[in-house]
Order: sequence, then structure tokens, then C-alpha cells
Amino acid sequence: MIEPTIRPLAAVAVSFVAAAFILASGRRPNLREAWTVLASVSMFGIVASMVPGVLAGEVYVTNLGTVLPGVDFVLRADPLGVLFASLASLLWIVTSFYSIGYMRGLDEHNQTRYFASFAVSVASAVGIAFAGNLLTIFVFYEVLSVATYPLVAHDETPEARAAGRKYLAYTFFGGGVLVLAGTVLVYWLTSLAPGAESATVDFTPGGISALANADPTAASVAFIVLALGFGVKAGLMPFHQWLPSAMVAPTPVSGLLHAVAVVKSGVFGIARVVLDVFGPETLADLGPASFGDLGIALPVAIIASITLTVASIIALRKDHLKRRLAYSTISQLSYIVLGLALLEGDALIGGLLHIPAHAFMKLTLFLCAGIIHVETHTDNISEMAGIGRRMPLTMTAFGIAAAGMAGIPLVAGFVSKWYIVIGALDGGNAVFAGVLLVSGVLNIAYFWPIVYQAFFETPDDHDTKPLLEGPFGGRDAIRADGSGRTDDHGTVDIDASVDPDANHEGGVHHAHDDTDEHHDDHHGHHGGPPAGGWPKRNWRGGESTWFMLGPILTAAALSLLLGIIPHTIVFMRIVETIVGNLPGVVV
Amino acid sequence: MSDVLLALLVTVPLVAAIFPLLFGLRYENAGWPIALAGSLVVTGLAGTLAWEIFTASTETGQRLVHEMAGYPAPYGIELVGDGLSALIALLISVVSVAVLIYSRSTGPGSNAFYSGFLLLMGGLLGMTLTGDLFNLFVFLEIVGLITYALVASDDSGMAAYGALKYLFLGTVGASLYLIGVGYLLVRTGSLNMLDLQARLADIGYTEPLVQAAFGFILIGLMLKIAVFPLHTWQPDAYTYAPDTVSAYISALVSTTAAYALIRISFDVFTVDFFAANQLITDAVVLVASISIVVGSLLAAMQTEIKRVFAYSSVAQFGMIVVAIGLNSRTALLGAVIHLVGHGLMKATLFMGAGILSSAYGATTISDYAGLAKRSPITSGGIAVTGLALVGIPPSIGILGKWYIALGAVESGSWSVAIIIFISTLLTLTYVARIIETLYFNPPEATHEETAASESVEHVAVGDEAVADGGLETRVATERIVVVAVLAVSTVALFASVDLFTELLDPVFGRFFQ
Repeated sequence: MIEPTIRPLAAVAVSFVAAAFILASGRRPNLREAWTVLASVSMFGIVASMVPGVLAGEVYVTNLGTVLPGVDFVLRADPLGVLFASLASLLWIVTSFYSIGYMRGLDEHNQTRYFASFAVSVASAVGIAFAGNLLTIFVFYEVLSVATYPLVAHDETPEARAAGRKYLAYTFFGGGVLVLAGTVLVYWLTSLAPGAESATVDFTPGGISALANADPTAASVAFIVLALGFGVKAGLMPFHQWLPSAMVAPTPVSGLLHAVAVVKSGVFGIARVVLDVFGPETLADLGPASFGDLGIALPVAIIASITLTVASIIALRKDHLKRRLAYSTISQLSYIVLGLALLEGDALIGGLLHIPAHAFMKLTLFLCAGIIHVETHTDNISEMAGIGRRMPLTMTAFGIAAAGMAGIPLVAGFVSKWYIVIGALDGGNAVFAGVLLVSGVLNIAYFWPIVYQAFFETPDDHDTKPLLEGPFGGRDAIRADGSGRTDDHGTVDIDASVDPDANHEGGVHHAHDDTDEHHDDHHGHHGGPPAGGWPKRNWRGGESTWFMLGPILTAAALSLLLGIIPHTIVFMRIVETIVGNLPGVVV
Repeated sequence: MSDVLLALLVTVPLVAAIFPLLFGLRYENAGWPIALAGSLVVTGLAGTLAWEIFTASTETGQRLVHEMAGYPAPYGIELVGDGLSALIALLISVVSVAVLIYSRSTGPGSNAFYSGFLLLMGGLLGMTLTGDLFNLFVFLEIVGLITYALVASDDSGMAAYGALKYLFLGTVGASLYLIGVGYLLVRTGSLNMLDLQARLADIGYTEPLVQAAFGFILIGLMLKIAVFPLHTWQPDAYTYAPDTVSAYISALVSTTAAYALIRISFDVFTVDFFAANQLITDAVVLVASISIVVGSLLAAMQTEIKRVFAYSSVAQFGMIVVAIGLNSRTALLGAVIHLVGHGLMKATLFMGAGILSSAYGATTISDYAGLAKRSPITSGGIAVTGLALVGIPPSIGILGKWYIALGAVESGSWSVAIIIFISTLLTLTYVARIIETLYFNPPEATHEETAASESVEHVAVGDEAVADGGLETRVATERIVVVAVLAVSTVALFASVDLFTELLDPVFGRFFQ
């Protein structure tokens, strides 16, 4: 049932309007933050109000008129859209509180610009979720790129600006070049189909029928171009470079945008392309016969498999915590892409469920990294031995989320990964199931030492981290920073150009050490435990403010809930509705 | 049918041009109100014209004709108003009003300037509305001569140099155009566009004289449009002209020349000519594609802000000319949308640059460091318009690009399609640099600039009426408002595609029978 209503538009508009209010009340920080909280709560409320209807088969549509012949600017809340929108708006509430604690804790500059850009970013993420066709999604996709740029370049240091430039170049190559090209191709291909005004780029569950009969070569090109275009934001290799660089942004940005909204919008775009533009059946028919059952989706599945393995291996070598998380994100996003590219019912469920699962877990991890930075100015894993004494709740949450990342049962990651593996085996693609299992081992290898050393090692007595040091290939590295610390300055390091470590060493944030009452740092000492080891803090929140601890524990709790009762907290039901609506897909 | 609206559109500004000089003998500041009144009248007329054509249902209603002095075509000169020319006339009048409001406090304020301004407007409207090739030449020369004068009105040595360079090259361009028209006259004995269309169809499109005529007209107009490698006059002219003048000519002069090329290509020579002369078509596409790439690269290499925008025009007009060569209805629709969109965007960018240069003396990109904090509205306008120029939706920039790219795909010109898609990144190379410097670079505390900013703040203390973040009192409010309104319009016009298709459908129906 299609129901015309203002609600999808309202969900998007509420936060655009909030951005204006935030800009207008820049001189009164408490009022300004009130707008952020108000907008996030009302946005979640509006999105949540549509969930029961959507599960019952309703589709809420706001049509804003025609942009191109046959193409309307339309917002449409269907199950897939509601999945992403509810996720983004729910986690925006969590991150809003955290942002307030983080930005004030560090006494950051330009907070008005920060909160306004944040609101616009989330609004465009929800716009992407509710976009009813390729053109609408393209519009919001580009607005998202523009709106997140100020957040990436927030520090205004040369590193941050370079990261911003890199980010713009990558995302506009993906959006302005590839997605636009793909959209034009789809429009052209459908316009060739018989019947007047047949040109369309509307999302249709199971795929646009005109594409099934289109010229196979051109349709394959269109699919690959679109998949790669959205793949840039989804961190598919070789287009992943922007993500580690973008870690110079404040941690809430890395948390919500670079683990949830921005990267997921790329993944979500791929989901739309696979499920609603081409459809699993059409994709399986496209491509040379040698591609087998997966058809033209096979190259995407292969790229995703390579990405998720290679990124995990790179993550092993990273000593900077946020960087390691970034590579973990790149790896985990490819789980989702792989699940989608397998074109099989269970794999689709797993891939789609991994969108919220990874979001909860990775947000927890990033928020933990951020709180450690605010409290102790420690960014490097090698300096975190024994930190569990100082930040017990934080590191417990970190441990839970890390276990989920590796696919340990009772945490969200297990459920989604289980479905993808089952789907891979059912579809006769055992090799991809093998890749997933290997990746689980790698996940443990790069997350477990962090948790282990936090609780069971001390600064004076701990193993060397990271697990792998030195460049791959064994050649002796020249240390760019001249320090003895083994870092990522290897000769074959593929992301040595922009390095948030430099930010760490530059001490941008340390100017405010004196004003931070919790800090354990001295001037001139960049992170790591103070002399005499980490002081012990209690388990009742003595380690930081509840502005930051609350969000962390909420996100960790959500990851557990999704792992234990996936149906009860709705996300699993939404995912099953999405896959159930696809013609020709057996669950 | 004789429609007096068309005649008024051309004659009102031309006649009004006398009055600033005339009243200037007695009143010192007579020029601005007269020019503004003239532009407003013209805007009303252009709006009426567009509305009449928009609402007309008959074919004659969609193509209004005025026979000058009652002599019938093909012997007399006729003015023709159809959807295409109405759009350009609307653009000319709207930009004129915007630039005039902008120029009130910044000048060049002499009465002679406003006379020239009105003459230029009349010339541009004449080029837009004429249905006669020789008449087009006359208006082309009017436009050219006045532009030389306006560029030189900065009184600086470099402005004179820029104007002289433009004078030489512009005259060569106009002469080449005239030679082409001469060839056509010799071969056919007619100068009326529609009449020529019929006669050329009889003669055949492969005759060398006809081909040569098109070649001369093409190269002459490409010189006026400033397509690479015939662009060399344009960066100097735009850079050294006063800010008001660069905004006006960058938005309209090349635009109208490109309109003339579209009009002649499709109304006189028609698509059959392109189909019959594949070599010429390919050459147009090739030159224009090179113009897109080289123009963008040259723009990215510049340090002076006005030069960046000037070379950017070289690239953007490459995109419009490529659409002519693609010979596709879809691409041509994109070209017209981009013609209008680029005019608005460039006017906004040059006016924004003018504000920053008069407030802070900022003329190079590095001067822009950190200016966003001091003048947020102007910087915001430049940023929004710059992103629209890149083709970031929602904006008019993406509409033009969409249709040109779609046309390229439809006609199977894959290399052109790729260049157009890549042009996003090419444009981004220079736009992103400006935005990054404005917002994220710390202000460089050179002595000169510190002095300039201090003086600005000094004025601000004494004056409560803060316009733009509180520091820009030296810049009149209306200048900032104009930039902001135009910047918003580039975004709002994202929803304008119906207007374009409705107006252009009858015209393109004739072009692509």
C-alpha cells in the first residue's frame, strides 16, 4: 500500500531546520545543543512512527514534484529505507550527547559549524535512506559529501585540510562522476524500452523490469559503475584511502559518520542498486557465462572479499587506535557488500542485518577511543597497557563490541555473520564462507590484544604491540618521524600520505590540558600512562562524565540486544520484510 | 504578425542610453536611477515575452515576429522571439538588474558608464532577438565596442591592456563572422535566417562555399565565446576590468555569443548540415572537449581569483559548445540550461569576489585565507555557487550537466560522456581550493592585510548597522544581498526544468524535425 504523507519529508527536514537554528544560536551553546538534541529525538520519533506501518506493508511517500521527465524528487519510506533511517536517527541521539561531552571536554573551536554540519549530514543520510529513486539518492549523496567535508577538515591543521581534500576528491569521484554516470546510463537504458515515457530510475523491489531486457553489456557497465560509485563511500578497495585519512576528524564524527552514516550510505546505495534497481535475478543473468550463478555480482563479491581480508591484515599493523578501527570498518563494510553480492536470501538477510549490527558495535568502539583520547590523550594502542584500571566501564564496552566484531555469539556481529556464512554455503560459494571465517580469526588477532592488555597487563610489563610491525615484505623501514616507535611509515605502506599520528604528535589537542580536570597528562607528554601507572577508578562512572559514558554503554547494550533478541528490537523483522518482498529470492 | 514587444526590448535600452549622458550634464548621479529604471522595464518586457510564449498554444504564438519598419522578410529585418531567445532575454535582464543594484555603491559611477551599460544591454538583447545574420553582426559589434570601453573603464594601465587585447581579437572574431555571412550572401542572396535555412537546403550542405561560411562563422563566434585556444583575450579582460564589469560581461557577453552560435547552427545550417559534414561536427566536439579539460587545468593553476573564474568559463563554454557538436536534442537542452545557469553562477562568483576584494583587498586565492569568518554571507554565497558550478545537486549546475551527459550517452559519444563526468573533478580542483582557503586556512598575517582588516574593523565599531557578520560595513548591504539571492537562485533553479522544457520544446521541435 502506498500512502502519501509528509512524514518522510518531515524526518529529513527536521534536521535541516535544526541546522539553521544551530547556526542562529551559535552564541548560546546550551540553546544550540538543545536544538541538536531536540532534532535528533524528534527525527527518531518520526522515523519510528513509520516502523509499524512499514512492517505491515505500508510505504509512506512524499512526492516533491518532477525534476526530469519521468523522474520525480520523491521521498519514500519502505522497509529498506526505514532500516537505515531508524539506525541513523537512533544513533544520532546517542552521538549527540557524546558530542557535547567530547567537544566541551576538549574545548574545541568552531563548535557551531561542527554541530550544524553534523545535523545536515544526518539529514542527508536520512534523505539517502528515504530516496525513492537514483536521482534523489544522488542529490542527498552529494549533499552528504559536502556537509561532512567541514567535519573532516574541522581541525584546520594542514593534515586535516589534506584529509579534507582527499575526502572531497574520493567522494566526488564516486558520487559526481560514477553515480551520476550510472544514473544516466540507467535512465538511458530504460528509455530504450518500449512504451512512451518508459525512462525511469525509480527503486522497485526486485529491480526495474526494463533493465532485465536491456542490452546486457550496457546494463553490466551501469551496474559496475553504480556499485563502484557507492563503493567509494563504502570503502571498497582500492577506493578506501579516504577513510583512514578522515580519522583526523573529531571522534564523534568518526563514530557516527565514518562508521555509521557516511560509509553506510555507500553500502546502502549498493543495497538499493542490487535489490531495487537491478534486482538479484537480473544481476544473476548478466555477465559472461563463466561468472556462474552470481553473474555480474561476482566481481563485486571478489572485490569485497579481497577488501575484507586485506583491510584486516593492514589493521593488524596499526598502532593508532582510530586508524585500526578505520581499517576494521573497511573490512566490516565489505561483509555487508559481500552479503549483498551473494544474491542469496540468507546472505542478503545477513548483509542487511550487519548494517545495524556493525553500526552499534563500531560506534561503541569509536566512542571508547574518543573517551580515552579526551581523558588520557592516549591514541596509540602500545601505550594502553593496563588502561582497564583507569577506564573499567569503557574497556568492558570495548571488549563486548570487539567480541561482536569477531563474530562471537551473543553479540550482534554473530547473528549477521552466521546468516552470511549460511547464505554463502547455500548458494554453493563455499570459498566466500571460508573468507569470512578467516576474517573472524583476523578480527580476534587485532582486537583481542587491546582488550587483553587493558585488563591483564601493566604499562611496565606488556607484550609489544602491534602484533605485526615493520612493513609487509620485510624490508627495513626508514622511520619518517625518527622515533623508535614502530608505526605506519613503511615503504610499502599504502596510506602513508596523510597520517593522523602526525596530529597526535603535533599536539593540537593538548593546548587545553590545563583546563581539563580529569587529565592524567603532563605538558610535553603525549598520551600513555602517567608515571607510576594508571590510577584506579571505580566502576560507577568515576572515569569520565556520563555525557560520554552513557552513550557508550547504550551503544554496547544495543549490540548485545541485537545479538540476543534480534527480532524483538525490530531490526531483524525489518530485514526479513525487505528480503521477503523480493520476488524470486528464497529465504 | 508584428509584435511590438520585441522592438521595445531592443529599443528601450538603446534609447535610454542617451539619458544618463543627457541628464548627467545637470545632475551628477543621474546615471544609476535611469539605468535601473531601464533595466526594470526591460525585465518586465522580457518576463511578458517569456510568459506569452510559455502560455501560447499555437505555433505562431510560440514564435513571435516583428518586421522592422514594416518591411517584410526576407528583404526587411525581422526580430524573432521564441522560447530560446526569451530565456536568454530574461537572463540578460535579470543579471542586468542584479549587477546594477550591486554597482550602486561601487561604481564605476560615471554617467558614461551607465550609458555604456544600457547600450551593452541593448546590444545583447539585439543579438538575442534578431532574425537576420547581418543585423546580428551589427549588434555583435555594438556589444564588442561597448565591452572594450567598459573593460577599460578601470582607468588602470592593465585595464587598457586587457581592453586593447580584447579589441584586437574581438574585431578579428567579428570580421571572421562577417566573412562567413558574406559567403552566405554571395551564394544565396539572403540574410534572413529562416529564408537562408530553406535556400541552403536547396543548395546542399556539402558545397565548399557553404562549408567555408560555417567555418568562418564558427571560428568567429568561438573567438567571441572564448573557447580554447581562442580564449586568450578573455582572462585579461575579466581580470583587469572593474568588478562590476567583469561580473556583467562574464555572465552575458560570451553567453550571448554562444546563443548566437546555437541559433545559427540549428536555425540556419540545421542538423542536416552537421549530418552531412561529419568532419566539421567531429572538429567542434574535439575542440570543445579540449577546451573543457584545458580550461579546467588552467583554472586550477591560477592564483588570482578572477583568473580562476575566467579560465573556468573557458571550460564551461567548452561544455556548451560540445553539446552543439553532439547534435542531440537532449544535449542541446542541457546546453541552454547550462548557458543560463553558468551566466547566473559566474555573475554571483565575480560579484562575491568583488565584495571580498573591496572589503579586504583580497584578489588572490591565498588572500582568501580565513575570510569566511569575517564575511560569512559572501563566503557562503561563493561556496554554494562554486559547488553548483561543480555540478553538486541540488543546483542548476547539475541539470545542464545531466542533459549534456545524457545526450552524449544517447548519441553514443562515450569519450565525450566520460569527459563530462570527469569535468566534475576538474571543476572541483579549483572550486575546492577556494572553499578550503576561505574556511579552513588560518588568515595569513601579512602586514598589508592586517592593516586592511584593522581598518575594516575600525569602521565597524562606529556603525551599528552590521551587514555581514559585523566586520564588513565598508561593503554596502545590497551588494551582499544580491550575491546571497543569486546564490540561492542557483540552488532553487534545480526545480526549473519544466520551465526550460516548456519554453524550448517548440523551438527544438523545429531544430530537430
